[in-house]
Amino acid sequence: MKYTTKCETIKILNLSNEQLLELSKKNLLSLSLEEMKVVRNYFKKLKRNPTDIEMETIAQTWSEHCKHKTLTGLIEYTEEENGKKTRRIYNNLLKETIFKASIELNKTWCLSIFKDNAGIIEFDSKNGVAFKVETHNHPSALEPYGGSATGIGGVIRDILGVGLGAKPLANTDVFCLGDPNMEASKIPKGVHHPKRIMKGVVSGVRDYGNKMGIPTVNGTTYFDDGYIVNPLVYCGTMGIIPKNKINKKVEFGDLILVVGGRTGRDGIHGATFSSIQLDKKSAVSAVQIGNPIIEKKVLDAMLKARDLNLYRAVTDCGAGGLSSAVGELGKKIGAVVYLDKVPLKYDGLRPWEIWISEAQERMVFTVSPKNIEKIIEVFEKEDVEAVCIGKFTNDKKLTLTYDGNVVANMDMKFLHNGIPKPTKRAFYKVSEEKIQKPIEMDSSEISSSLASLLADLNICSKEWIIRQYDHEVQGQTVVKPLQGNNIEISGPGDAAVIFPYTVIKGTKKGIVLSNGLNPQYGKINSYKMAASAIEEALRNAVAVGADVRRISILDNFCFGNPNDPEILGSLVRATKACYDVSKAFEVPFISGKDSLHNEYFINGKRYSIPSVLLISAMGVIENVENTVTMPFKKNGNKIFVLGITRNELGGSVFSKISNMKGGAVPNVFPSESKDIMKKIYSAISENLIEACHDCSEGGIAVAVSEMAFSANKGVKIDIDAVNIYSHLECESEGGIRIMTPAEILFSESNGRFIVEIKPNNEEKFKKILGGAVFSEIGYVSDDKEVIFESKRSNVKIQQNSEFLLNSWHNTINL
Amino acid sequence: MFEIEVLTKEGFKNSRGEHVLSDIYGLGIEDITNVEYSTLYVVEGDISFGEIETIASELLTDKVAESYLIRRRDAEGNSEVISKFSDTKETGRLNHNFSVIEVWYKKGVTDTVSESVIKAVKDLGIAKKIKVKTGHKYHLYGKILQKTLLNTVAKKLLANTLIQKYKIH
Repeated sequence: MKYTTKCETIKILNLSNEQLLELSKKNLLSLSLEEMKVVRNYFKKLKRNPTDIEMETIAQTWSEHCKHKTLTGLIEYTEEENGKKTRRIYNNLLKETIFKASIELNKTWCLSIFKDNAGIIEFDSKNGVAFKVETHNHPSALEPYGGSATGIGGVIRDILGVGLGAKPLANTDVFCLGDPNMEASKIPKGVHHPKRIMKGVVSGVRDYGNKMGIPTVNGTTYFDDGYIVNPLVYCGTMGIIPKNKINKKVEFGDLILVVGGRTGRDGIHGATFSSIQLDKKSAVSAVQIGNPIIEKKVLDAMLKARDLNLYRAVTDCGAGGLSSAVGELGKKIGAVVYLDKVPLKYDGLRPWEIWISEAQERMVFTVSPKNIEKIIEVFEKEDVEAVCIGKFTNDKKLTLTYDGNVVANMDMKFLHNGIPKPTKRAFYKVSEEKIQKPIEMDSSEISSSLASLLADLNICSKEWIIRQYDHEVQGQTVVKPLQGNNIEISGPGDAAVIFPYTVIKGTKKGIVLSNGLNPQYGKINSYKMAASAIEEALRNAVAVGADVRRISILDNFCFGNPNDPEILGSLVRATKACYDVSKAFEVPFISGKDSLHNEYFINGKRYSIPSVLLISAMGVIENVENTVTMPFKKNGNKIFVLGITRNELGGSVFSKISNMKGGAVPNVFPSESKDIMKKIYSAISENLIEACHDCSEGGIAVAVSEMAFSANKGVKIDIDAVNIYSHLECESEGGIRIMTPAEILFSESNGRFIVEIKPNNEEKFKKILGGAVFSEIGYVSDDKEVIFESKRSNVKIQQNSEFLLNSWHNTINL
Repeated sequence: MFEIEVLTKEGFKNSRGEHVLSDIYGLGIEDITNVEYSTLYVVEGDISFGEIETIASELLTDKVAESYLIRRRDAEGNSEVISKFSDTKETGRLNHNFSVIEVWYKKGVTDTVSESVIKAVKDLGIAKKIKVKTGHKYHLYGKILQKTLLNTVAKKLLANTLIQKYKIH
C-alpha cells in the first residue's frame, strides 16, 4: 500500500496492553482493550500497521452507537429477590427479549422490523407506515440548539433512508431536562443552565421541523434534577412508504452517490463520543449544525427519483458519516470509495476526517450506472449537489483511495463481524415495596395538593413548547396536542392522529402517535418502569381511538454506564419487562435505539442520569372519524372510570410533592388492561364515547380536572364509587386496607381510563364493557365547579375549573 | 468588506432583546435595564456599494419593522457608516450608557444563515462570488456595566463558547 502524506500509519503491532488503551483514549476511538487487541492481531496477520483512517473506520463501525455492543453482547445477569439469587446468561440481550417478542408475535402487518433505519407496519394494501425515534443527548448538552436541530434532522433522514425512502408526515419530540427555574448558583460550573438548554432544544426542534414542513405533533417533557448536566433529547419521525419501495438491493458495479450537504469538519467523532462520559473537555468538533433548507430539497428531489426508480438502495449519513453509510450498504459485497471526490465545505480535511465526518443533510444512494446521469439531473433540478464517490465491488473488501493512493483496505467481514463479544456483568436487587402509611388528609389539604399536582413540572401545561411548533402544517393533523374550547382554554391530548389524505387519496385511515415514559418509577423498580411506559403509550393511543390489536411500539433506552453492573442489571430488568408486556398485549416492537453512557462527573464524582425507557407507539386506525378528544362535551353526561384503582403511589408525582415515604410502584396487569382497551375501541367505533382520557401522572383527580377545565365545565365525582382493589377481591385478606380518599384520587395505577358517555348510550356502553371492571363515578355539570366527594370519609373537594386551569397553565413560561 | 447591521425600528417590538433581558434577570443580574438586538452580516468580495445597498434593503431587511446600517470595514477592523435606512441611529436609540456584545461563529463552524444569504444574493441577480459571515449584536443598557458582568452575560446567555466567540466593546 502506498500512503499519502495526509494519511498516517498508526504503529500498533508492537504495543503493550497499556499502550493500546492509551492510543484508544488519545485518539477518541472508544475501543476497549479487548477490541484493540483484536485489531492488533488482525493487522499482525496482514503483516502491516493500520492507517489512521483504518483505525477510525473500525472505531466507528464498532462504536456503541452503531453496533449496540451492550444490548447485543454477552451478559451474565444475577438477580436477587428476598435474599435468593438467580443467574442467567444472555448471549444477545436484544435478540432474547425485545426482538424475540416481535418474532414470536409474528404479526403479518409488520412489514420491516429491526433491520432498516426505521420499523415499518402496514397502512393499507398498497402502503406501509414507518416510525423511528432517535436520541441526540450529548450533542444537545454541549450545544442545545444545534444538538436538537440535528437530532430531528437526523431522524427525518432515517425515515428518508428506510427502504427506498418514506415521505415524512409527522415529528415527535421528548425531552428530559433539569428544572428550568433552578437557582443559577446550584448549577455545576461549565454546565448550561436548564433554562438555556430548554430554550435551545425547543427552538432547535422548532426551527428544523417547521422549516422542513413537517408537523411536530406529539411529545412530552420530563423534569428531574438528574438531567441538569446530561439532558435527554429524543426526536421521532413517522412517514408513509409504498409497499413496493420497502426493499433495498445493492449489486456489484452499482455506483455510490452522495447527495445533499457538503462534508466539513463538523461532528467528527460523534459516534464514538456517544460512548464517552460528558466532561468539561468535551470535543468542539462533536457539535453539528443543521441546515433544514438543504434537507428539504433533498427530500423533495429524492422522492421524485424514488418514483422514477432511479436507485436501488439509500441510507442516511448519520453517526459515523460515510464510513457507516457505505459500510452498511456494502458489507456483504465490498466497496471502493474515492475520498478526493467527496464535495467539501472547505479545504484542508484529512482523508479520515472526510470519511467519518458527521456533517449533516447527506444521503448515500446506490445507483445502477445506466441511471447515474438521470438521477444527478433530478437532484440538480432541485439545486441539490449529487456526486458519485465510488462503487460497489464483489471482493468483500472496503477500499478507500485518496488522490489515487490506497489509504484503507480491510475485509468487510472483519469490520462487521470481527468485534469481540466481551462478557459484561449485571446485577439487580429487587427491593421490597411497602404500601405507605395511610394518607389521611382533610378536604382542604387534598384540594391544595390537587392544585400543586396540576402545577407540577411533570403534569403542567407544555403549551409554551407545543405552540412554538407547527403541528398543523401539511393539514393532516386531525387530533392535536392541545384540546379544548379555544386557545386560552385547553388540556393535554393523549395522542395525535394524522389523516394522510393528501398522500393517499381516498383513504379513511389514520395514524395514531403517542408515548409513555416515567423515570421516577425506574428509581424504585426498573421492571415496572418499562412495563408502565409501554402501558401508558398504549393507553394514550387507545384513548383517542386506536385499536390495541394494530399498535406497534418503539423502544429508546437512555441509561448510565453499562459497565456498572447495577445499571446494566436495571437495563436487563427493563428489557425483560419489554418482552413480557409486549407478548402479553400482543403489541410488537418494530424498531428501537439505545443511548448508554449517560453519565457525568462533578468534582471527580460520577453521576448517572435517572434511567429512562421511552416507548413510542404508532397505531393504524380504520376510520379517522372514529376518534375522540379528552375535554368533556356536554352537561349531564355520565362519567365512568374503567379499570381498577390500586394503592400504587410509589414514584408518583403526589409522593414527590408530599415527600411521601414508601409506596408501591404501579404494576401492569395486561389481561385486565388489554380487555378494556379492546372494549374502548369497540365503543369508540360505535360512537358511544364522547370523551376519553388516560389516567396516569396525578391519578384520577388530575385526569378528571383536565377533562373539566379544558371544556370550561364542572364535574361531580363520587370518590366512594371508584372501584378499588381492596373492595373487589381482598376484603378477606385482612392485610390490605381500604384506600383513603387521597390515595384513591392520586394513585397512578395503570390500566385506567376516564370516559364520558351520553345517558342514552349508557346501556349499549355497559353491554360492550361486559365483564370488564368499570364504575359510574359522576356527571358533567354546568356550574364550572370541580367536585370530588366521599360521604364515607366525610371529604369534599371543590375547586373552580378556571382556578384549576390556571394552576395547570402557568408553570412554564420562559 | 461591508458590514450590514439590521435592527428593529423604533416603535416596533424588540422581542429578541426583551427575551434576553428577561433571561438576564433570571441570572439574578439587575444592573442591565434594556437590551437591543440586531443582526450582523459581513459581506466580502468584489461587490459594489450599489449592490450592497440592494442586498441590505431588498434581502436582509423587513422594511416595515426593521432598518439597517451599512459600514465599510477595513482589514484592521475599523469601520465607518456609509449608508443607512432613512433616519436610523447608529448606536441604539436610548441616550444612556451602554455596552455592546457581538457574537460570531468560530472558524470552521457551519454558518447556515450565511449559506442562505449567498444563495439569495445569487437569486437577486448579483452574480459575484462573495463570502458572508453572520453575527449577533446586543446593546446592553445600564449605568456602569462591569466587564466581569458582561462576560457572565456573554458566556451564560449570548454565546456558546464551544462554537462561538464574543467581543465586548
